[in-house]
Amino acid sequence: VPNLPDWAVQVLQVVTILALAPLVSGIIARVEAIIQQRRGPRVLQPYYDIIKLLHKETVLPAPAGPVFRAAPYVSFAGYATVPLLIPALTNFPLPLGYIADFFGVGMILALASFVVSIAAIDSGSPYAQLGSSRLRSFGAFNEPTVIFIAFVLALTTHTDLPYAFGATIRSATVQVVKPSHLLMIAAFFMLLLNETGRIPVENHGSTLEFGQIEEGRVAEHSGPGLAFLRWGSSVKQLLLFTIFMNVLVAPWGLASSGHLGVVLEAIGLLFGKALAVGAAVVVIESSFAKLRLYKIPEFTVASFMFGVLAVVIFLFEPGFGDEHLSVFGATATITTVLVLLLEFGMLRSQDVWEQLRLYALGSVVVAALAFTTAATGHGGGSLYALGAVTIALKALLFPLGIRYVLRRLDAEPRVPSSIGVASGILLAILLCSIAFVVLRPVHIGAEAALPLSALPVAVGGVLVAFLLMVLRPYAPSQLLGFLVLENAVSVASLVIAPGLPLILALLLLFDVLIGVLVFVVLVQYLAVERTAVRTDVLNRLTG
Amino acid sequence: MSWTLYVTLAVPLAAVLLTLVGDWRVARTATLLAGLTALVMAIAIAITVRHGRVLDTAHGWLRVDSLGAVFLLATGLLYGMAAVFSVGYLGVESSSAGFAGFARRYFGLLNLFGWSMLLVPLAADFGTLWVAVELTTIVSALLVAIDRTDAALEASWKYVLIASSGLGIALLSIIVLYATGSHVLGGAYIPRFTRFLTHAHHLSHDAVRLAFLLSLVGFGTKVGFVPMHTWLPDAHSEAPAPVSALLSGSLLSAALYAILRFFQVAVAAGERSFAEHALIVFGAMSLIAASFFVLRQGNFKRLLAYSSIEHMGIIALGIGFGAPLAVAGALLHVITHASAKGLAFFGTGSLLRGYGTKEVDGVSDAGRAMPWTGPMFLAAALALCGLPLSGVFRSEFQIVLGGFAHAQYVGVTLLIVFVNLAFSGIVWHSGRMVLGQRRERGAVAVAVAERSAWMIAGMLGCLFVVVALGVHMPGDLNALLTNAGHRLAVPTP
Repeated sequence: VPNLPDWAVQVLQVVTILALAPLVSGIIARVEAIIQQRRGPRVLQPYYDIIKLLHKETVLPAPAGPVFRAAPYVSFAGYATVPLLIPALTNFPLPLGYIADFFGVGMILALASFVVSIAAIDSGSPYAQLGSSRLRSFGAFNEPTVIFIAFVLALTTHTDLPYAFGATIRSATVQVVKPSHLLMIAAFFMLLLNETGRIPVENHGSTLEFGQIEEGRVAEHSGPGLAFLRWGSSVKQLLLFTIFMNVLVAPWGLASSGHLGVVLEAIGLLFGKALAVGAAVVVIESSFAKLRLYKIPEFTVASFMFGVLAVVIFLFEPGFGDEHLSVFGATATITTVLVLLLEFGMLRSQDVWEQLRLYALGSVVVAALAFTTAATGHGGGSLYALGAVTIALKALLFPLGIRYVLRRLDAEPRVPSSIGVASGILLAILLCSIAFVVLRPVHIGAEAALPLSALPVAVGGVLVAFLLMVLRPYAPSQLLGFLVLENAVSVASLVIAPGLPLILALLLLFDVLIGVLVFVVLVQYLAVERTAVRTDVLNRLTG
Repeated sequence: MSWTLYVTLAVPLAAVLLTLVGDWRVARTATLLAGLTALVMAIAIAITVRHGRVLDTAHGWLRVDSLGAVFLLATGLLYGMAAVFSVGYLGVESSSAGFAGFARRYFGLLNLFGWSMLLVPLAADFGTLWVAVELTTIVSALLVAIDRTDAALEASWKYVLIASSGLGIALLSIIVLYATGSHVLGGAYIPRFTRFLTHAHHLSHDAVRLAFLLSLVGFGTKVGFVPMHTWLPDAHSEAPAPVSALLSGSLLSAALYAILRFFQVAVAAGERSFAEHALIVFGAMSLIAASFFVLRQGNFKRLLAYSSIEHMGIIALGIGFGAPLAVAGALLHVITHASAKGLAFFGTGSLLRGYGTKEVDGVSDAGRAMPWTGPMFLAAALALCGLPLSGVFRSEFQIVLGGFAHAQYVGVTLLIVFVNLAFSGIVWHSGRMVLGQRRERGAVAVAVAERSAWMIAGMLGCLFVVVALGVHMPGDLNALLTNAGHRLAVPTP
């Protein structure tokens, strides 16, 4: 088996990305269609589309000039340059790998998108211009997000080269499950959804121009130009997937030499990783609705804020309990961050059914932590029972029971926040930062055994739950706020006190159960006596 | 003597069961018996443990020492008297529609409430303690809402939401304590008070401080410390009078008891001055804010509610001063405040039944119109202000003396100034109610009179304790308080 020279690997890197990209798009589209009970296009359809378009003639709109004609090729050239700069196949830098850093990659990607926007203006078509103006305005927060993500990476590694990030993570795996890193991953993932035109930002492949952003921009292109634009956008998607996996989440399985077998293996793994990200995308596309256009900035602002929070948390993160990675520690941190992110979701949501679903999801995550804790030998087998009870009560009984009662009371499902969503999230970010700043100097005394960075996240979760109660003047949402608070405390208890005897844990849950019953009775009284479940009308008793 | 613990807990539960199956008259009798049994048991337990003996049973899950017994006494007294008073308080309405169901609900919840509060000082570990305190919240929230008026619902919603959230923080404090204990006591252990006290010097100081502060905020929400007190005046003013008495005299101090258990751990871990300072800060804030609210209050049940905040502040100050005399005084204050505040709230219930209003302006000349309630209400008001001849005077005097002994001049000065401020507020309002002449003759003159001997009996019971503790301090109680104070000063398992 031959040993490939570096330049050959570098060429292979570009070729792989360019060749695989349409396939990844095709598979995602197909799987999505199957989940939505359609037959869907063939997996290879993107290739056929590109070939077909390459054979067609180009029709130019009347006002179009050279900018319009050149744009598809400039844009594609940009996308084709990026694979030189990122660790797509190898974990060692290739000859041209150091010509641009993380910001360089960002700028090339931005340029590739920018020329298409300029071309849209050049075309004179209102649809295309609308698409590009939407992209510009909604994308305003994407750049700061990228900058803050790069801050976290740079603070961790003291450099901003994509290759170096991967190397740092490989040398200290525990880095991946630090709260700051997890939040940064969340921010990047939201950015990725936004940049690849996925739900909740854009309905991919929709022909309805009301919601079109990316699709609208290229409306006037045709023939080979359109072929390169289509190809370019699938390449961009695969590039973002690659950066997400090979730099941020799982920089393993890359070729460490030019050995052909190893390189081929790396290509296979890259394909697998891309499909894994694709699977997550498909799940999100199938389970969420597209945001209304004017709500999209909330989404981008949220991803930016997660980036900010990640930096703040990085600065105040307590030293990780066990500097070597353990399943328990990793699950604990991931769970706490997930519960916190779900709380942010509830903070954003204006719909009580969605809040209930998010709460149930959070409870499942807590139960999963209980199972993992038991399986890794922390806290004994009784935690299995606790996990089962958690699922039964908090993921099934409470959400379903509350939903039943609210349906019967015919309660209004809309629960608007009393301040703007963006301000609410900003406040929540502040509270989380406070939790980290306050708890940083605290030494619990059990550092050796417990993943303590989960504690401030859980405390942040408690504070955000308070915010949730304050910002929603509706009885059902306030009840959910209380339950979320209890979830955050449960996570804290599982993480730093996994040995709490089962009998006590069950008693605590029993208390919560009775508490929920009482809450529900009161909600019913409120609904019957005051004909509303609003709580901001409860303002008689003062002084 | 361990059987007394079982009896204390079993009898109220039996009463709850009886209210489920029986007629409302059965429920009434059962409540009466359960309340008085609890009182007798509390006294018996207090006498048993007064010299430092510890009752320990149910495989160590139930435990009471002299510190717990002090709070058990306060709860037992109020539970018993509230049972007596309730017979008359509800009896007045016995002819109204739907009374039977209401009375059964009321008595059932009252017994459950009493039971949960008796459980608090009998818990042997932090987990059970939290569960019991949370139970008191949940049950009493239903009691606050039992009248189902707009105001009662509002009060109940605020109460259950704020108090439960506070207890969420309290739970966090237990978890922090558990985590720091886990490297001494092993990964899985029952968080008994005694185990923490035994190993306190191995615990991380940061964690103990954090846990104490969290408990002070969390349980402090239920104690009514300012600024977490916002639920308290609403719940106290909208609940039925006997429930208000239990809330104020017994529930608040039960939550305070939980804080004292954390205080013990903090002291044993060598964080005494930190914990005392924290208590002084919260106590002083509560005292100051509450005394201003007392001055400008037009609703006499709210007035008493703010006075409860003030008195909780006084107790916190007394413990915070740290002198043995002050600590014993603060613990005595738990009992004297319970009896005086019980008397006062029972008085408001009786006045409400007589005059049909909770406003100060609606009540006048109560001394003549209600010859028992009027004077006793005034006596309660004066006692709450700490006038001599009342037990409250003795306890507050001890706190002040103890404070001087430990050179806590700022705290003592604040205490004296603001107690007097509250004094003028309370005396001004209650004086108008009891001694003031009726302005519009005829309008209110419709049959304002005593409504039930049971209500008077309940009040007399409290009055007896208030005056008796002022005139003569029983030696056994003194021994109990001294021993309990010693447990706070030098915590031993």
